[in-house]
Amino acid sequence: MNDDVFVEMECRQFIKTGQEACGDDYQLMTLEEENRAIAVLSDGLGSGIKANMLANMTTTMALKFMRSNLDLPGAVETMMDALPVCEVRHISYATFSIVDLRLGGTTKIIEMGNPRYIHLRGEIEVPPYKHERFVSPNWPDREVDTYNVRMQTGDRLIIASDGVTQAGVGQKKYKFGWRRSGELEFARDLIRRTPDISARDLANAIAFQALSINPEKCADDISCLVIYLRKPRVMRILTGPPYHREHDRDFALLATAGADNVVICGGTTANILERELGKKVKIDLKLIRADDELPPPGIMDGVGLTTEGILTLSKVCSLLEKGDPSSPIPPDAPMAARLIINRIEESDRIEFIVGTKVNEAHQDPNLPLELELRRNVVKRIAEVLEKKYRKKVDIKYY
Amino acid sequence: MEKIRLEICCGTTCYMLGASQLLKIESVMPDEWQDKVEVSAISCMNMCVEEEICAAPFVKINGELLRRANVESVLEKIGEIIREEA
Repeated sequence: MNDDVFVEMECRQFIKTGQEACGDDYQLMTLEEENRAIAVLSDGLGSGIKANMLANMTTTMALKFMRSNLDLPGAVETMMDALPVCEVRHISYATFSIVDLRLGGTTKIIEMGNPRYIHLRGEIEVPPYKHERFVSPNWPDREVDTYNVRMQTGDRLIIASDGVTQAGVGQKKYKFGWRRSGELEFARDLIRRTPDISARDLANAIAFQALSINPEKCADDISCLVIYLRKPRVMRILTGPPYHREHDRDFALLATAGADNVVICGGTTANILERELGKKVKIDLKLIRADDELPPPGIMDGVGLTTEGILTLSKVCSLLEKGDPSSPIPPDAPMAARLIINRIEESDRIEFIVGTKVNEAHQDPNLPLELELRRNVVKRIAEVLEKKYRKKVDIKYY
Repeated sequence: MEKIRLEICCGTTCYMLGASQLLKIESVMPDEWQDKVEVSAISCMNMCVEEEICAAPFVKINGELLRRANVESVLEKIGEIIREEA
């Protein structure tokens, strides 16, 4: 993928009150070597497990067809034919929106039955340069819209299920629901106030707003998917002393330039940076709870956050493995791990600079716990960040 | 009177061998000591490598190294200093 732009894709969902599964489904895929990303959102007929299955079948098929560049009307026809027919309403469908995003080329948006997408450049709504509509021969009551747009760095696409646009239907203030216009105004207002808002925060804000418009209960499944093209935010994590002492200086300098966020994990590592950069770590004990289960984090002025090493990284790893991109870390998570994960969430590219010298004290059998090797923990974190959190990760050994 | 400086090493080894308890020391200090002692945390004093690991956790009180520190031994040392200065 083009290194100057990062495609941030996030979706926030709420399940209809009383149901166990979300009747909307989404799937996201990045095709690095093609400078391409695909996002699909589907709303299955009805709600609960049945709807979830319909939606999931739809997103899975749509993703496969798009990826293999299948010709459009044919692909849509196949999808509708494949879905089972509802015995009550005699319709066999799940609505969907597909975004086939090409960096530097034409981005296609295909919609059937879902609320129309929103394309924003800053707070300005951008119209498509081409719009076509076709009706499926086998399913004449279904119209499919295709839109061609060009996405630039800084642009956002917002795709929502009707749980968003119809939120609050029937209330005095929202006779016809929040509608697309309400959603659009809300998004524009947020972007006006926070121009750099991430896809994740915007999707969260829109979904929460839709939820709060519903009186008392969530009347329909809510999904809001946001795609944001932006300059990548780089976070650098330095951990462990370099194998050769004469590399300490080069290692330390990596903390001072080229990243938006720097974290130094490890006491010895912090000592090396203090010595090489002439800085001092300050730890404010008032910021942590007495029962926090990790050593207190600190700040190295002008450089970044400092934490203890292996215990903190192991905790970060297990929290990331347990959590998922849309649900925040538990409120009782220890402070040092929370601060690192917050920074990871805000970043697109995470660079680990790993010193490979082994701390012999950590191998001492007198320690009450067995400590994992730094390199293994970093590898596990990298793996979960790439697979589950769609982050780009680089590891450099020193 | 200058405050007594209590520095607690919070490196991995020290933390696991008891520094986590030392960080709570202010909650068990007598009230009249509260404004006489300044507690701070240090990322790592590097003592577990320079000395021997079983001497952890390490603290420094007014710059003087205390090995195998625990809440009792630290309170005792601070008490001594306060009595000397009085």
